[in-house]
Amino acid sequence: MAMKKLINDPANLVPELLEGFALANAGKVALQGSNLVVRTSPKSKDKVALVTLGGSGHEPALSGFVGEGMLDISVPGEIFAAPGPPRVIEALRLANREAGVLLIVLNHAGDIMSAKIAMDMAKKEGLNVKQVLTHEDISSGSRENPDDRRGLVGCLAVIKAAGAAAEQGHSLDECLAIAERMERNMATLAVAVSGATHPCTGDVIAEIPEDVMVVGMGQHGEAGGGTQSLKTADETADIMLPVLLEDIQAKPGDELLVMLNGVGSTTLMELYLVLRRIKQILEGKGITLARSLVGEYLTVQEMGGFQMCVARLDEELKALWDAPSNAPALTVK
Amino acid sequence: MPETIDCNTMTRMLRGAAAEIREQHEMLSRLDSVGGDGDHGTTMLRAMANLEKAIDASAAPGLKPLLYDVGWAILGVDGGATGPLLGTLFMSMSEALEGKDAPNPAEMAAAFEAGLAGVQAQTKAQVGDKTMIDALVPAVAALRTSVNGGSDIVDALRRAAEAAEQGAAATRELQARFGRARNIKEKSIGTQDPGATSVSLMFKGFWKGAETHA
Repeated sequence: MAMKKLINDPANLVPELLEGFALANAGKVALQGSNLVVRTSPKSKDKVALVTLGGSGHEPALSGFVGEGMLDISVPGEIFAAPGPPRVIEALRLANREAGVLLIVLNHAGDIMSAKIAMDMAKKEGLNVKQVLTHEDISSGSRENPDDRRGLVGCLAVIKAAGAAAEQGHSLDECLAIAERMERNMATLAVAVSGATHPCTGDVIAEIPEDVMVVGMGQHGEAGGGTQSLKTADETADIMLPVLLEDIQAKPGDELLVMLNGVGSTTLMELYLVLRRIKQILEGKGITLARSLVGEYLTVQEMGGFQMCVARLDEELKALWDAPSNAPALTVK
Repeated sequence: MPETIDCNTMTRMLRGAAAEIREQHEMLSRLDSVGGDGDHGTTMLRAMANLEKAIDASAAPGLKPLLYDVGWAILGVDGGATGPLLGTLFMSMSEALEGKDAPNPAEMAAAFEAGLAGVQAQTKAQVGDKTMIDALVPAVAALRTSVNGGSDIVDALRRAAEAAEQGAAATRELQARFGRARNIKEKSIGTQDPGATSVSLMFKGFWKGAETHA
């Protein structure tokens, strides 16, 4: 697969994309320090701040979640590669306040290491920071081995809930508890139908034959499970949803948030078909589709496929999900 | 008079490592194309550029601050796990050299051991998991054995480099259990681990750098 992308010098790709991102969302976000993405109107200091870190090339994630009601700062790394600890600690120092800082980390090796070193430094410096790890990809590990579970689009629900809680004035411990509750109650599975290329190296990061789909593929093309013949939208939902429901042990009467995250080249049309089928399956089980979100939130360049994330909501989580946000990638009025 | 390692020697060792990586970065990216996304060579190039910038900018004299500056600069490479791991190696070596401006070979071996311990605090990877650990562990062990056997620093670094090279070569037959290559499972067998290869190249550079000084 030959790479076909409109880019300039690959060495400048990340700073250029950040510059464009900030311009496209002027009035909401800006770049500060060593390319940290911050809000233009900072949250008052008596409220908990939210910070996250992660590789670039997944736009609009993660910087698209910076905004009122969600993140205060994101630390974007290189393409598909975590930022180093120096910029993470820079963000934690910038965010530090008496109310505290919640660092949201997606479970990927580089992100974990940078976060750990930055957290160690933060502790030494006396910063008031706590960390929540998102690891909800059921294809890469069992619930008993959460270390093996990658963090996929579920981070969005965690950021939304904790961000809304912080905005409402909850304490750091309360925000952390809310983030962890959302995290515990969610599960994600990905399906890939076509591959993608690394925009800097041109390397194929996933090659998927014409008539095949791969269930359980991570956000860098890591195979995690079943290669099978390409199915219909309904059949794909039939394969993916039950294992997710089993993972969170969904029961009749439960209220779910379902997120369908297109990873690059899968159309909204297809995602709507899948959501329609999900609703049918849930109805058959007496489970309520309480909230849904369909679109592109955490992409993998031109990869085809989507991530299906289900999260069990309680009344508080539902209210936090509905709370306002002006983040570029998720505006809630 | 006991042989010691001063800032000059260390600078040559570090520049030697940078030179080896620069020569082989395309090979490193090719290795990474199998299990990763083909950017390990460019990440290492950035890391070595940061390393050399840190050497040039390091104002404070002394091994400890030099290695601290180098470690911090490598941590600043936004390249996934590579920066934290390699950066930690040098930061932890720096910590171990407290009060030792001109360490003897045994103290140098202890500094490398502290560096390894720092890296191992960051990752649960063990020898055999197909990571940089597969080169770093035998290199540090060989360094210690040679020093204990009375080798001078150049000879000890040569043995460390040989052990690292063997350790890296052995990763070819292993299945990755850490990092992104873990996800391709048995398909990772048959390709040498890029991280282990980088470490092996760096030790070769340490040795060559120390040798030119001798």
